[in-house]
Amino acid sequence: MTNSVANEIGIFDRSTVGARTSPVLITVERGSVDFFAKTIGETGSIHLYKGAAHEAGFPDVVAPITYPIALSMLANQVVASRGEKPLFERIGSDFSRLLHGEERYDYADLIYVGDNVVVQSEVLGFADIKGGAMEVASLKTTITHSERGLLVTMTSTAIHRLQ
Amino acid sequence: MLAITPADAKLGYSLPKVEFGPVSRSTLALYAGASGDHNPIHIDIDFAKRAGMKDVFAHGMLSMAQVARVVTDWAGIDKVRSIDVRFKSLTHIGDKISCGGEIVDAFCEDNLEFVRVKLIANTSEANTTVVGEAIVQVT
Repeated sequence: MTNSVANEIGIFDRSTVGARTSPVLITVERGSVDFFAKTIGETGSIHLYKGAAHEAGFPDVVAPITYPIALSMLANQVVASRGEKPLFERIGSDFSRLLHGEERYDYADLIYVGDNVVVQSEVLGFADIKGGAMEVASLKTTITHSERGLLVTMTSTAIHRLQ
Repeated sequence: MLAITPADAKLGYSLPKVEFGPVSRSTLALYAGASGDHNPIHIDIDFAKRAGMKDVFAHGMLSMAQVARVVTDWAGIDKVRSIDVRFKSLTHIGDKISCGGEIVDAFCEDNLEFVRVKLIANTSEANTTVVGEAIVQVT
């Protein structure tokens, strides 16, 4: 960490460490999961057909494993409609300089069509890399089912190109 | 059907590859809509040029979706405990995304057996766009 230097050239608002969005309740919609699955070229029948999911022992269509990104983005829109700034804005992202660094998903349980889930995001911290040529923001989003508890934890880093 | 089940998983085993693309502007417009990631750098060439890019480029998450399919096609989504990827270089319009995985480790935890799968996405032999790993439960 070279905060003293990077704070002069960095863009992220580093006072936002620990900031959280308000929780957003989302019902996982059939059309949204279907659109996502088809767009990424998903071929697994449990992600496309309710009957196939039932036959495999699942209660409904299983959301593809990277579908949490769609829930996280939708939560951002809901948060914005409440007049609250989504985290990407709150940390001061400059989209013309922004790159995606890492993305990690830890799965405790699956997400099914019809699930009622709560999505909430938090700023974990900031760091400088490559001698100040880039700065990194770490964010965490949790997706929790109203009865089954935590389903997925998403951890991601966003990078600003500074030079 | 699977030639090898996860329970037969051995170190060094290469998972069946997943191919996607070529990536078009339509692909990116649809992925922006499907994922809700509306960052204009991926769908608006005027914005991309103002940001110093020659053209729009693919969402990193579109490539993560493809490397993740390597694991879920092979093991089944209910066996996957985690997926962790790093984005190494950009995927451009016209690129084909070629994804593979290899079992690099096996371990026990709480009397359950897991394998660690190294993941990679390439747009050509020389250009790696995503590296990562997945933890898959095999028993």
